[in-house]
Amino acid sequence: MSARSLRRGAVTFLFFLAPLAAGCYSISPSAGGGQTRVGNRYVNPGDVALPPGYRIELVARGLTFPTGVTFDDTGRLYVVESGYSYGEKWTTSRLLRVDGDGGTTVIATGENGPWNGVDFDDGAFFIAEGGHRDGGRVLRVSSDGSRKDVVLDNLPSLGDHHTNGPVVGPDGWIYFGQGTATNSGVVGPDNAKMGWLRRHPTFHDIPARDVKLAGHNFTSDNPLTNTRGDQATTGAYLPYGTPSLEGQVILGQTLCTGAVLRVRPSGGDVEVVAWGLRNPYGLAFGPDGRLYVTENSYDVRGNRPVWGAGDVLWAVDPDPAKALWYGWPDFHGDTPITKADHYGAPFRDRAPKFLLAEHPNEPPAPVVKLGVHSSSNGIDFCRSGRFGHNGDAFVAQFGDMAPAVGKTMAPVGFKVVRVDVRNGTIHDFAANRGRQNGPASRLKKGGLERPTALRFSPDGRSLYVVDFGVMTVDDNGPRPRERTGVLWRITWEGGQ
Amino acid sequence: MNILRTLRLVPLVLAAWSIPGCGPERRGEPHTEPLAGSHDESPVDPADPAVTRGHHVFSQHCHQCHPGGAAGQGPAINDKPLPVALIKNQVRAGHGAMPGFNDEEVNDDDLEAVVKYLKALRSLDERRG
Repeated sequence: MSARSLRRGAVTFLFFLAPLAAGCYSISPSAGGGQTRVGNRYVNPGDVALPPGYRIELVARGLTFPTGVTFDDTGRLYVVESGYSYGEKWTTSRLLRVDGDGGTTVIATGENGPWNGVDFDDGAFFIAEGGHRDGGRVLRVSSDGSRKDVVLDNLPSLGDHHTNGPVVGPDGWIYFGQGTATNSGVVGPDNAKMGWLRRHPTFHDIPARDVKLAGHNFTSDNPLTNTRGDQATTGAYLPYGTPSLEGQVILGQTLCTGAVLRVRPSGGDVEVVAWGLRNPYGLAFGPDGRLYVTENSYDVRGNRPVWGAGDVLWAVDPDPAKALWYGWPDFHGDTPITKADHYGAPFRDRAPKFLLAEHPNEPPAPVVKLGVHSSSNGIDFCRSGRFGHNGDAFVAQFGDMAPAVGKTMAPVGFKVVRVDVRNGTIHDFAANRGRQNGPASRLKKGGLERPTALRFSPDGRSLYVVDFGVMTVDDNGPRPRERTGVLWRITWEGGQ
Repeated sequence: MNILRTLRLVPLVLAAWSIPGCGPERRGEPHTEPLAGSHDESPVDPADPAVTRGHHVFSQHCHQCHPGGAAGQGPAINDKPLPVALIKNQVRAGHGAMPGFNDEEVNDDDLEAVVKYLKALRSLDERRG
């Protein structure tokens, strides 16, 4: 072998060694589903892949930021439009009846969005009002919309995540999620970028029970002042610019962030069902009587970024007497986020340290962990042989918001998945056709854009899927498009 | 000289390993159909409980970054004809951005099951083209 061929071999070796050493993740640009330019949305059910025997059809289109679907006691169909979208886009929150021709009739409106989900029980709608302006609420709206009452207000919902997904339990209580103010417990510049920190500069996370802090603090450029070089140091569960002390105790409150709570339809006392959940978005009772909760997990942003944390599906005992802590802000599922190779961004950040000096309990094991940044949101269970997969959970995945939430090598989510909760397996159920995954706008197709909620019809024959519509994302954040939301219906020929 | 000739093969082996890892995000349509009954020519028996066990373990640990075997946070793994030993080494040691999973997280039996599940996934993809 000549010296020249040896050199050539060495160069070739280094050429191929480089991606190995750095990893494909490091050398690839982010390729999130929203990182695209789109034109007008067009709709073509034929672009959606389903299991054999299933078909999908369009029910309604032209919706603005729809987030929930339900049925009244006569089987009529309703959707809610959020009234607010990430990207600081404000519209009017609306409860709409969907008529047979796909037209809509306004039943109720609000100005304190986002309205994140709706359920119907005993002659009334129950709506989770995210309350980005005035705080979160649970609303009760009469079936004809003539009366709107506040069941519960003053929920701490002014931050990143809101009041979500009400579901009326078999016991008649209203169960709902209250998301956290922050990504991982510490207010930071990312919250200014989200928009709320300038509106509510003292807002921060609140635990459900007393917690003792480890005393870690985080320093960042101060987005609240125009002074060049001004920095602020912030601790966990504290306002921006307030450092914490080792051993400091933060008092718990029932109206907390990062929890599943419950209240009676008539209002009154609130009870904590589960806490230590980052953004408990979708709630549904399973055939086994447990409350299943989708949790949007950590992002790679802010003062305390957490890498590689997939969304989580939990099975929760709905009895408040057995309320557990589910790990936020120190665990992902039942895994501590201090594991450097799992949760520190490759070749950049060290893994986060524990914020809490003591943990309330060891978090239980989740049912499954879904895609990182998949925004696994709405959930419902099939309870009928008329659709197949009886007893399985169906989850609507809004899809990633990369690069704002972190980097992905390919679009994540933008589909409906089925979870067999008995054996803990995840299966694609409805996804866009083609050799690549992603929202229809990115694929230049007419299929699913951002599924965000779903519900089975009362007769069990149909699965209705709420598609939020087009939201692109760039370095300046999300850019949602009004009037691009869609309502889909999926049926099974074996159940007709 | 024999050693030098062997060394010349190293770049090719590395290329075979690294290029697929950075390759396209998915081959074929999304897997909406069940694995069972969908790949008669597969050397993997879809009724094998180990495949279901592997699917469960995959859903706990792998799906997050490789949803359904496709790319996401990490690259696609449903189209990589890697030898079993390399798959196991990748899982145990982690390479690049991927973390390693020790035998407390994924024990040896579960790792075997995941490999079987990955084979089933790959054969499904190959059948669907």
